[in-house]
Amino acid sequence: MAEVVLENICKTYGNSFRAIRDLNLEIADGEFLILVGPSGCGKSTALRMIAGLEDITSGHLSIGGRDVVDMAPKDRDIAMVFQSYALYPHMTVFENIGFSMRLAGKKKAERKKRVDEIARTLQLTELLDSKPANLSGGQRQRVAMGRAMVREPAAFLMDEPLSNLDAKLRVQMRAEIASLQRQLGVTTIYVTHDQVEAMTMGDRVAVMKGGILQQVDTPKRLYDAPVNAFVAGFIGSPSMNLFEADLSRGTLQTPGFSLQLPETVLAERPALRKYDGGKIVFGARPEDLYDSTLASGRSHQTVPAEVVSVEELGSEHVVHLRLDATPVDSGDPDAVEELGGLSNAVARFEPASAVSADSRIDLAVDCAKLHFFDPGTHLAIR
Amino acid sequence: MARRNTRREKLITLALHVGLLAGLFFAAFPIYWMLASSFKTNGEIFALPPTILPHVFTFEAYAAILTDPVKLRFFFNSYLVAAVVTILTVIIALLAAYGFSRFNFRGKAALSTLIISTQTLPPITLLIPFFGLVVSYGLFDTYAALVLTYLVFTLPYAVLLLTGYLNTLPRDLDEAVAVDGGSSWTALWRVIVPISVPGIVATSVYTFLLCWNEFLFALTLTKSTDMRTVPIGIQLLMGQHAFEWNQMMAMSVLGSLPLLVIYLIAQRYFLAGMAAGSVK
Ligand SMILES: Nc1ncnc2c1ncn2[C@@H]1O[C@H](COP(=O)(O)OP(=O)(O)O)[C@@H](O)[C@H]1O
Ligand SMILES: [Mg+2]
Repeated sequence: MAEVVLENICKTYGNSFRAIRDLNLEIADGEFLILVGPSGCGKSTALRMIAGLEDITSGHLSIGGRDVVDMAPKDRDIAMVFQSYALYPHMTVFENIGFSMRLAGKKKAERKKRVDEIARTLQLTELLDSKPANLSGGQRQRVAMGRAMVREPAAFLMDEPLSNLDAKLRVQMRAEIASLQRQLGVTTIYVTHDQVEAMTMGDRVAVMKGGILQQVDTPKRLYDAPVNAFVAGFIGSPSMNLFEADLSRGTLQTPGFSLQLPETVLAERPALRKYDGGKIVFGARPEDLYDSTLASGRSHQTVPAEVVSVEELGSEHVVHLRLDATPVDSGDPDAVEELGGLSNAVARFEPASAVSADSRIDLAVDCAKLHFFDPGTHLAIR
Repeated sequence: MARRNTRREKLITLALHVGLLAGLFFAAFPIYWMLASSFKTNGEIFALPPTILPHVFTFEAYAAILTDPVKLRFFFNSYLVAAVVTILTVIIALLAAYGFSRFNFRGKAALSTLIISTQTLPPITLLIPFFGLVVSYGLFDTYAALVLTYLVFTLPYAVLLLTGYLNTLPRDLDEAVAVDGGSSWTALWRVIVPISVPGIVATSVYTFLLCWNEFLFALTLTKSTDMRTVPIGIQLLMGQHAFEWNQMMAMSVLGSLPLLVIYLIAQRYFLAGMAAGSVK
């Protein structure tokens, strides 16, 4: 067990493309860190550099206090779970899990004892003599986990290990991996582009974009206090609604409506004062928007909105709306454009809400929960 | 409308089948003729009109070949040379292909172009230079002469074929071995080779057939009857004293048999996706 420390890590592919810029991360002993970001942001590159499968262009990397920059993967005391699982197709489950022990020259009896133990943990005992081709996706995933666990490494590295599973199995394996990690207490770096996995599995989440680390924090802090509009938009589903507005004397002004910011909001964010008299970006999470005809929405200020469509999910209604204001692009390339541009905001209403498509409503906004960002840099205003 | 269409389609199908049958006859008749003649007496082969089925069905020709140590030696030579070349080709080509597929090195593109370009020369243009080389190294009329020259022709193709095959295998497998504590060498022999069986079989079959059928270089680079291979042996039956047509045909049948057997055994490897289950 060990901490993993990345200092000023850079990666340049083929002498021109800068995939990772100046990455600094400290992963504590036993911590479960999630590395998340849209596809192509450099997550796999970062993980593969830690594994030793990709050269580090510049910077320092240590695992358990040892500088490992020039070490081969096998000497770094890490184990990796590949997105494709990369099981050896000609070997049985037993041989797959025991392969690293065999390479290390361990005796058959010792191998058997250890593999059996791991197979029991992962419920693979019955399958030890099967070949990967005869396993289901979930079983293959577990074999890949077993192959990593058998080595008792200082750190687990996982690259989108659940992305090949169907949605239901993914939810189940998500919980299994998280509890397994807690049980083993091994430092784990887990790469995903799925922000739900990011929010539910790890101790801390590192959000990346375009090869640059944006924010590292607990899931709750990321959600409540994103450092910039990108993190605000990327974390949370549906995404935070981001709009442009003019701020003057504590009032947000858009073409179609205005919102008076409460004194507490202004007091909590002294930096807001500097933006008075100019442009600002504000954000509202879908759950901070309410149906004004319901009790929950009565106490809030309202803005006029047009309902474009309603998804009734049973536990809540996801309502797609059109507001008379200019939406702001958070910079998430994976973000789906809202219904082909017809709507520009999403709200989550209680199922008691009776709003229907193509109607005009008064949308209640909890102004105490708004987020504010600089219109130029998109950095959070605190 | 619809009816006319189906009638037309039926006619087209019929014409197609007739054409295919004609093609089949065209391709299969020589083989049938070879088989039939090998079971005839040499006299019957010259009968007029020719007999479709042997009048006197006899193993005389086969017996003559299988009891003659000189002719058996042709088979031994062919097997030996083809087997040695096949084994060497596969081992050398696997190493080269793994290099091309998994490593980046200076001059990689140029080297692979060079390998392809060797394939553009008609072998006959190389006959005289090879003859000169073989003689000057004192290898004339030896197995080594045949093995070395055949390698020159089998290796480029085998390297290309296997590189293509290895490129289809996920690199994750090599990386998994690296993380599990193995070297590239371990990855190649313990993982990549075992799952490359279909590619290796295809390469082996191609190489074996090329050596087995080769005539020109075998004729030029060997001299003594002891060193001759089956294709030369068949030709030797011609015109020593008389044309032993039935023996020539029997020898051709015996010469084709290993190819048939190899093909039947190899076939199941082409069909089975050996790499299934490694990924996803
Ligand atoms: N071997 C490579 N050579 C050049 N560019 C690469 C290579 N591997 C990845 N890249 C580029 O680096 C960026 C980051 O890739 P990657 O780390 O795989 O992203 P992610 O895992 O976040 O989807 C991408 O733009 C990708 O095209
Ligand atoms: Mg990736």
